[in-house]
Amino acid sequence: MKKNIKLVLFIPLIIGATGCANLGVEPWERDLLAKDEMSLNASPIDVALDDHIYFSKEASSGGKGFGGGGCGCN
Amino acid sequence: MKTKTKTKTEKTNIKAALTLATAALLGTSNLAQANTVSTDSAQESTWEFDSAFLFYSEVDRVSAGEAIFNAKKTFANDEILNLKLTVDALTGASASGAVAQPEVQTFTRPSGKGQYDIAAGEVPLDDTFQDTRVQLNAQWTQPIAPNYTASGGVHISKEYDYLSLGINGNLAFDFDRKNSTFSAGFSFFQDTFTPEGGIPKPFSSMLIGDSSSPTWDNDFTETRIGSEDTKTTIDILLGFTQVINRRMITQFNYSYSMVDGYLTDPFKIISVVNGSTGLTQDNIYESRPDSRVKQSIYAQSLYHFDSTVLDVSYRYMWDDWEITSHTLDTRFRIPLGDSFGTESYIQPHFRFYQQSAAEFYQPFLIDGDALPTYASADYRIGEMTTFTVGLKYGLLVNNGHDLSFRLEYYRQTPTDAGFDEPGALQEVDLYPTIDAIIAQITYSF
Amino acid sequence: MLLLLKLLILSNENCLNKDRTIRLAKSKGSYGITFNAMASPCEVIIQSTDKQLAAKLGDIIATEVWRIEDKYSRYNQRSVCSVINNNAGHCVAIDEETYLLLNFAEQCYQLSDGLFDISSGVLRKTWSFQGVQSSQGDNDNFPTEAQVKQNLMSVGWRKIDFDQNQIRLANGMEIDFGGIGKEYAVDRAVILAKQLTNSPVLVNLGGDLAVTSSRLHNEPWQVAIEHPDTDSNLTDMIISLKMGALATSGDARRFLIHDGKRYSHILNAKTGWPINEAPRSITVVAPQCIQAGILATLALLQGTQAEQFLEDQEIKFWARR
Repeated sequence: MKKNIKLVLFIPLIIGATGCANLGVEPWERDLLAKDEMSLNASPIDVALDDHIYFSKEASSGGKGFGGGGCGCN
Repeated sequence: MKTKTKTKTEKTNIKAALTLATAALLGTSNLAQANTVSTDSAQESTWEFDSAFLFYSEVDRVSAGEAIFNAKKTFANDEILNLKLTVDALTGASASGAVAQPEVQTFTRPSGKGQYDIAAGEVPLDDTFQDTRVQLNAQWTQPIAPNYTASGGVHISKEYDYLSLGINGNLAFDFDRKNSTFSAGFSFFQDTFTPEGGIPKPFSSMLIGDSSSPTWDNDFTETRIGSEDTKTTIDILLGFTQVINRRMITQFNYSYSMVDGYLTDPFKIISVVNGSTGLTQDNIYESRPDSRVKQSIYAQSLYHFDSTVLDVSYRYMWDDWEITSHTLDTRFRIPLGDSFGTESYIQPHFRFYQQSAAEFYQPFLIDGDALPTYASADYRIGEMTTFTVGLKYGLLVNNGHDLSFRLEYYRQTPTDAGFDEPGALQEVDLYPTIDAIIAQITYSF
Repeated sequence: MLLLLKLLILSNENCLNKDRTIRLAKSKGSYGITFNAMASPCEVIIQSTDKQLAAKLGDIIATEVWRIEDKYSRYNQRSVCSVINNNAGHCVAIDEETYLLLNFAEQCYQLSDGLFDISSGVLRKTWSFQGVQSSQGDNDNFPTEAQVKQNLMSVGWRKIDFDQNQIRLANGMEIDFGGIGKEYAVDRAVILAKQLTNSPVLVNLGGDLAVTSSRLHNEPWQVAIEHPDTDSNLTDMIISLKMGALATSGDARRFLIHDGKRYSHILNAKTGWPINEAPRSITVVAPQCIQAGILATLALLQGTQAEQFLEDQEIKFWARR
């Protein structure tokens, strides 16, 4: 089951790597992508607060990015 | 683009005539020049502020409050300064690692100053955890060449018994009409831990007795090996972001992390129980390796439907303590228009997490067995499944300022990692489930 | 940060779109206001993070554009244009704004040697440009010589009498502000925007656009012009605009096929027939939108000489054939 999950989520990576030439948008097609909610780090405050909780309660942390100095909870 | 400079023909200069005609129509004072050097509109660089308060509370256990104040200033040339102040306070009881027993148990506080009793059948919780922490972050981001963005920052965090200093740096490279981005970053942290009561000798027995007795202090010091210790963390992060189409963007990260130094939790103990009766004979301080290497891969996708946005991410982590974990996190933003507040939205959230136990995790030790090199009964590095469900509601108030509320339910379910439970341990709950509530309010202006 | 827009050359003359809502959307560093007017999608972009300012700007501009539409659209029975047309043969009182527009139309008539004539609107009765590419041969709406000659009787700027206070068309005549209305609205919108704020603003009414200034940090606005063949894979053109206006004239959607030949919807006011061999689309840059629009139209009216005409005038343009 775990292997399947990994495969399903990384197929896009493989497809992306091989078919990269067809991906992407022209600069004027960024109307939706420019929205705040389409940012990969939308709600950085929520993420920072959650990361702190889950770092304190679980064994994993980070992996998502540094932005804003990170949690530094190590 | 064709602009040939040719000598004007004898034909009426239409351009000039039109300019006059336009001036007549629109009013001469309103005329502009086309394509000439424009006035450099000096935009006042504005500050953007975010403030948030979070309340976390476990049933019968730890409660925490955390407040964040973030200030961001964007300068000319896309330079950004980000300053963040975080204050959090923790109170309540945490599991000490000892097992529940059919009789009353007595434990010594980590500071050595005092004892506490645990009722029969109850999971031992140490309620001396009360601490306040203050953290400051500063981050500077700026473009250093066309398509290259660099960022660097510092971090300082202080609580009563803990000091953390850190720096980070990151370089991002955009290409293909900024549809793709490679980024590489590192961070370095140096932490110093000065726990109350000092650093316990690994696997030494917890001293139980009377703290007020005259021999107590001496005896207690015997179980300590120092007053403070340090820890160094180095993180490397490689990321790749790709715009798929007008509606979708994805990100893939790989991270490598090395931690060296004192990684043991000085407040956690392990119960040594009788192999047949399951009754605790001794409680000893845990001991963890002095290094940990973690790696993770992370994938995230954002998809914009007609008006809703779906955010799904997955992280797989593995380390040299033999812990592996899966994190699946998904958010779905549903705009509500103006019916429930100006530009309101709701955002349901679901997170699923599963981890395997560390190689040296043991919920208890058997009396008489050889001591392992390392051992810890901390459920947080044991086998565990957690899930979080929540809902966020946001709207605009005042002059278009964001206000949002978030309420979540977090359930941690430690599970049996395959340890036979002798005697009395079969009657008690070795893997109690922990329920918590998360409530947050955020205001941006 | 580059912000690009796509221009759409839309035409749907019969679409009386009375949707008068103004939509506000936030992007990184700017706000976009969209609304419908003059049968076109209209857009205002302000490079500012002040939402209240954006809303106010959108309100002011949309109101002004709708005002001009209501006043000069020939589809609105209560417009000044319709009143003048319905009372051909009689004197109709006009205000200063209408007088200035008529004056401007007069200057264009003279500058174009009579090719640009806002009274040529009646010719549309003879022609019906639906943009239909019928493979079954000719459109039924292709008129005869006689029909065209008949209709031409009702065309002719010289037959219009007007002064500062009133106007009188000859019987059967009609005027149409369609050739200048949208561009005029763009210029008016820019004037109002400059009065309200110093922030960079771009006003785009269905492809005719103008800016108040360059973007922040002296960056140009990036504008993309759609290729006339909407289904072609040819890349659209990107123009960097720091100041001034852009107007595009062309037959991308409105044309007629007859005998395998493609006829543009731009009619020669003197002959009554469509201009031959005009470029598929011309985009002109000028300080004001109304200038750009007239120049683009005048160029198209030159047919094969379109590009030469603009080059002689040292005007910046892009043409697609």
